[in-house]
Amino acid sequence: MSYFIARRVAGFLLTLWAVSVVVFAVMNVLPGDPALTILGIDSTEEARAALRARLGLDQPVVLRYLDWVMGALRGDFGQSYSFGVPVSDLIAERLPLTFSLALSGMVVTVLLALVLGVTAAARHGRPGDWGIMLLSQMGIAIPAFWLSMLLVLLFAVKLRWLPPGGFPGWGDPVAALRALVLPTAALALVQSAVLARVTRSAALEVMRLDFVRTARATGFGSRHILWRHVLPNALVPIVTIVGLQFAGLVTGTIVIENVFYLPGLGRLLFQSIANRDLITVQALVMFFAALVVTANFLVDIAYVIIDPRLREARG
Amino acid sequence: MIEVEGLSITSASGPILRDVGLHVAPGERLGVVGESGSGKTLLAMSLMGMVPDGLHVTGSIRVDGAEMAGAGEAAWRRLRARRVAMIFQEPMSALNPLRRVGDTVAEPLIRHLGLSPRAARDKALALFDETGILDPERRLSQYPHQLSGGQRQRVLIALALACDPELLIADEPTTALDANVALRITRLLVRLARERQMGLLFISHDLAAVSRTTERLMVMYGGDVVETGATAELLRAPAHPYTAGLLSARPSLATHGKRRLPTIPGSVPPPQDLPRGCRFSGRCDQEIARCAEQRPNPVTTAPDSWAACHLLQARSKGAGS
Repeated sequence: MSYFIARRVAGFLLTLWAVSVVVFAVMNVLPGDPALTILGIDSTEEARAALRARLGLDQPVVLRYLDWVMGALRGDFGQSYSFGVPVSDLIAERLPLTFSLALSGMVVTVLLALVLGVTAAARHGRPGDWGIMLLSQMGIAIPAFWLSMLLVLLFAVKLRWLPPGGFPGWGDPVAALRALVLPTAALALVQSAVLARVTRSAALEVMRLDFVRTARATGFGSRHILWRHVLPNALVPIVTIVGLQFAGLVTGTIVIENVFYLPGLGRLLFQSIANRDLITVQALVMFFAALVVTANFLVDIAYVIIDPRLREARG
Repeated sequence: MIEVEGLSITSASGPILRDVGLHVAPGERLGVVGESGSGKTLLAMSLMGMVPDGLHVTGSIRVDGAEMAGAGEAAWRRLRARRVAMIFQEPMSALNPLRRVGDTVAEPLIRHLGLSPRAARDKALALFDETGILDPERRLSQYPHQLSGGQRQRVLIALALACDPELLIADEPTTALDANVALRITRLLVRLARERQMGLLFISHDLAAVSRTTERLMVMYGGDVVETGATAELLRAPAHPYTAGLLSARPSLATHGKRRLPTIPGSVPPPQDLPRGCRFSGRCDQEIARCAEQRPNPVTTAPDSWAACHLLQARSKGAGS
């Protein structure tokens, strides 16, 4: 058990390191001179060279990588070229919004998918099952940004129940939550469509097993059996997909934040790319990648919490 | 007390169970013997109200006098575990792999009997003790995969006994176990039926297991009961050719290695291909003209015993005239 966790932690750190190398390499082969971006095309070559020296861009690439990694480990990602403030401040300022959006998106996705998937499995081959599968097929086919626009048109423009976009800040929690409803729905509806299908087929698989018959022979009702016996046994494939979907959710927030004008990390990434603010882009890409790697690490840990048989099998 | 009369179960392609009758009183041990495809498992499932969807059930199933044939899932659910409990063939897969076996046994105690988790744990411990589980205290917190097949079957028996049922149905409980363990499980079932004054319906294709477990025996073939009587008598002097065939197909020390073990040729045909008359016609070596078309009536062979065979009918008529 502890050996298993130690191996997973080692794998986790190794993956993060590999990601940092790839991110740094990609950012440094991209065309574009940061000095030119900061000073503008009217600047002189001498001024740009001086700036490059000040930013350390004239150093060998390996030194610059080490400098970046050591800084990142201390939480220092350098100074944004376009905003002129530390990148870590930019991230800290926008993280709560993106985190709230991703978290609410994930929670709604999982709850919706479990309810729909288990319900469909319980009504296997009957109209309820067909209805849910039809809906989920539509959910898979619809792009999140298009769904976002439909949601805005209906709930913000026509019905005027919810704001069409923007974020008032956490000073007014009710307004803040209201501003998150449509972005969360846009994120979760699409993601849960996939997860509901996985949940349904995993539950159907488990429902054929002998211990389900034992539970029925012990006099338990179908609802109790579904939620207390079938679902826990279906969790391993479900958690696997949740882990994979987390990456989709994070990239989803980038799209959704831009559609709904939410000042989060996704919008910051978008602006930084537009501004050629490479050092900020580099930090954000690293940050998003680290989130996804962390999610997959947690999924690996979840397996052994769910299934006692894996605790021994994996040492 | 469970009483079944004229129980028939029909699928779209024809009858799978025809006119089955049985009764098990408190403390009584009844065996049901037959090859796979004889309908014995379906019979057991019908006594739990767990007949698969799409099958049509007619006849009478009375549990403590209450008519349960045609009763809904809710009515059956109240009987399961409390009145009629069941253990299954595969102890390997019949337990939820994610739960500690103690929690599995405590679950019906908490949910059906309203015991506190503390009291349920104590009761589960007592049940483990009663069913001969070794080191019961430690077993409570173990998972199914940490237990041997025999220990798991004992856990399933403990689970079945949790709500003090009046009838325990054991469907091939020893088939998946090796002979030594099987012997101990059948002894345990006999002891539990005696001590608890609990009815036992023991279903098996293993005549040796049935003979040491039950007092009365029902032989099934193709969805019909072909012969019934006291276990010892029936095995000593079978009246039906099918029972005789089953008995001669049993290996014994006397025949071991000296000759080929006789078998009944062929296997039980699928329900839609069974002959309309005697189900055994076509495989029977003593078949006469009417067997395939005309269903034989039961002929009394001893007090409380009968067999359904045209040969017996002819013989008893001959004796009577």
